[in-house]
Amino acid sequence: MNRQTKEIIIKYIFLLFALVSVIVLGLIVFSLFREGLPLFTEVSVKDFLFGMEWYPTYDPPSFGIFPLIVGSLIVTLLATFIAVPLGVMAAIYISEIAPQAIKETLKSVIELLAGLPSVVLGFFGMVIVAPWMQETFDLPTGLNIVNASVILAIMAIPTISSISEDALYAVPREFKDASYALGATKFETIVKVILPAAMSGISTAVMLGMARAIGETMVVLMVAGGAAAIPESLFDSVRPMPASIAAEMGETPYRSSHYSALFAIGIVLFCLTLAFNLIADYVSHKFRQIGSGTL
Amino acid sequence: MKWRYLKQHIFFGMVRASALIITLALGGIVFYIVYNGIGAISWEFITKQPTHSMTKGGIMPAILGTIYLTIGAIAIGLPLGIASAIYLTEYAKQGRIVRLIKVGINCLAGVPSVVFGLFGLGFFVIFLKFGSSILSGSLTLGFLILPTIIGASEEALKAVPQTFREASLSLGVSKWQTTYRIVLPNALPGILTGSILGVGRAAGETAPIMFTAAAYFTAKLPGSIFDEVMALPYHIYVLATAGTNIEATRPIQFGTVLVLVAVVLGIDLIAIIIRGYMRRNKRW
Amino acid sequence: MESNAIISINRVNFYYGAVRALTDISMKFRKNKVTALIGPSGCGKSTLLRLLNRMNDLIDGTRVEGEILFEGQNIYAPDVDPVEIRRKIGMVFQKPNPFPKTIYNNIAYGPKLTGVNAGDLDALVEQSLKQAVLWDEVKDIMSKSAMNLSGGQQQRLCIARALAMKPDILLMDEPTSALDPISTAKIEELIEELKKDYTIIIVTHNMQQAARISDETAFFYIGNLIEYNKTEKIFTKPEVKQTEDYITGRFG
Repeated sequence: MNRQTKEIIIKYIFLLFALVSVIVLGLIVFSLFREGLPLFTEVSVKDFLFGMEWYPTYDPPSFGIFPLIVGSLIVTLLATFIAVPLGVMAAIYISEIAPQAIKETLKSVIELLAGLPSVVLGFFGMVIVAPWMQETFDLPTGLNIVNASVILAIMAIPTISSISEDALYAVPREFKDASYALGATKFETIVKVILPAAMSGISTAVMLGMARAIGETMVVLMVAGGAAAIPESLFDSVRPMPASIAAEMGETPYRSSHYSALFAIGIVLFCLTLAFNLIADYVSHKFRQIGSGTL
Repeated sequence: MKWRYLKQHIFFGMVRASALIITLALGGIVFYIVYNGIGAISWEFITKQPTHSMTKGGIMPAILGTIYLTIGAIAIGLPLGIASAIYLTEYAKQGRIVRLIKVGINCLAGVPSVVFGLFGLGFFVIFLKFGSSILSGSLTLGFLILPTIIGASEEALKAVPQTFREASLSLGVSKWQTTYRIVLPNALPGILTGSILGVGRAAGETAPIMFTAAAYFTAKLPGSIFDEVMALPYHIYVLATAGTNIEATRPIQFGTVLVLVAVVLGIDLIAIIIRGYMRRNKRW
Repeated sequence: MESNAIISINRVNFYYGAVRALTDISMKFRKNKVTALIGPSGCGKSTLLRLLNRMNDLIDGTRVEGEILFEGQNIYAPDVDPVEIRRKIGMVFQKPNPFPKTIYNNIAYGPKLTGVNAGDLDALVEQSLKQAVLWDEVKDIMSKSAMNLSGGQQQRLCIARALAMKPDILLMDEPTSALDPISTAKIEELIEELKKDYTIIIVTHNMQQAARISDETAFFYIGNLIEYNKTEKIFTKPEVKQTEDYITGRFG
């Protein structure tokens, strides 16, 4: 075999390895659908998505996941409201204001925060935050939406902060110089020049942070309380989708309709996070700052 | 004039407060865990089997299981990740396939960990009949950390100066040998430190191993890759939510949490320190 | 100029994407001579140099028309292996680019991978370093990193590294532009020495350098070969007005 043929073969071997990610993605879809689709011979997609009752072990069972979807959305939204200001402001602090030494330390802090295992955060929320919250606010349970959202926010902050920081960092120096040269204060420069220029990157950060929060399992499993009903207040318990999957999979008979229903929830969750990620990908490509000539 | 500066002061105050809150969150969590967990830590705790239905004794099998699963995840994720990154940085030309691969990697990075768990259950445990085992868990975790490793490797490969490649190719050394002899050795330290962060993630994940590898309790240590194992994250979850006596085993729970945090943050911290050192001592 | 041509370029056009960087170039390089390529930045002289050992292959979206004959064979023919071409046509770059390896391993790297006997390596390394007039300075520190050498020493190391492959031709892309005057003088002496055994094609921004070291000089302007002649002729009686303007410093 001559060298050129060998080189071409090597190239295709590497291509094959690079395609593994795509193949795995395909296999994920394949597995979810293979195990999840049988449910829809019994339950219509509409009843599944919009049914108000999740009683998978009753006889007859009912597989309406609307309360679970609502649970997921509400903790995700609340977590986003907490995490976005904190994450973005921390990014501003790191990229624009902090002295070098603090900058490095804070970056490490955020990286370590990202490294905290979710089960540890879930444990923290369950064992420390929940009893404190129950006592302080005189609630029936400390395992509720607010608690879960705060802990989820802690998980989403590193994602939001580090991607926002990259976006802020990428704003060309000339923009800042021009603004300062016009007599703007640092605050005005940040708010009127730097933030708008970094907006697509920050939006990407927010989308990815939300995707992280909606798919997070252990925190909502341990902290959200587990009630599969539409909540009436922020201090009610909910049962987000990942929690349902994780809590029930262990006890359900193989290939029962309950088992299929949990995979079907997996499909919904997969599609939701995929949508968030594709939007983030689209936003970051579509509105990418090209050079310093366009804005 | 004054109002402009007042606004700036308020804004900077808020920004600093955010940074402080985040730091305090990490500090507070770590402090609580160390404070409550340190009492449980002893040589016996780390090296002994659990006894009395896991209300007493140690957590050695869970530590061992986490080590096995993490090594398995590295064995799968690292070679695949490095090879993918080599394709993307050294061989690929911009085009549809590269775009497809990159979108694929991004989407894979966004797949929730519990969905990875379902995938592992549906594909490795059931479809490939590996059962709930170290093998299934390692494969699941390996693919979970694949995007992290690809990202770290790409960054490290791109940091190798183009002039090294040109110099080697201009000598009539083939592309593959240039990649293998010049590019890869120079990128390897960066690849490894970047990948360590992914390794920490593999060690700490719970949802992906719940249905694919982790056992509530095993009487024996695993004998092969087709055995189930105990694992630290799952052990915490089980003790905290479904143990025989949840309140009584709190010290064990905190101790296990402390061990897991020490392992994961220890791994991350080492990576961060080595990376900082490498950046300061860059040779090119 | 017809006799003993080692490379002949016939009607070559070169494109980066849609942009034409070289227009209809035809010229011959003579064996065992030093040929200088001069011209203002962006005139295509470096592009032409990198065409001769197919280094432009590494850039996406480039295209070559025409043929470049090396010892009678078109190096852009489909069955030609660029790796083989690069072994016979060595290259020295603008900035010294030693590998982050020991001095010894920098030189031995290429030969080792192309099947030179391990037993012959020591001799080959020594010979190459002597040819590059670096041996006396480094013979006691062969196992030290090449990154510790001075810029001028690094560049001579890169020349030695290229020579270790025993090429027929040495391409030099502004080899002294990153060096101090003393190192530059050393490299120029070295080129004088090397032309006995090698054909050298050198791109330079430095007119005096071209005049000092080359036998022939080609002047390029916006992708066109404007004038190509004996160096003394170019620098004393150029035939084209643009050449004269350039070498007298009226533009560029």
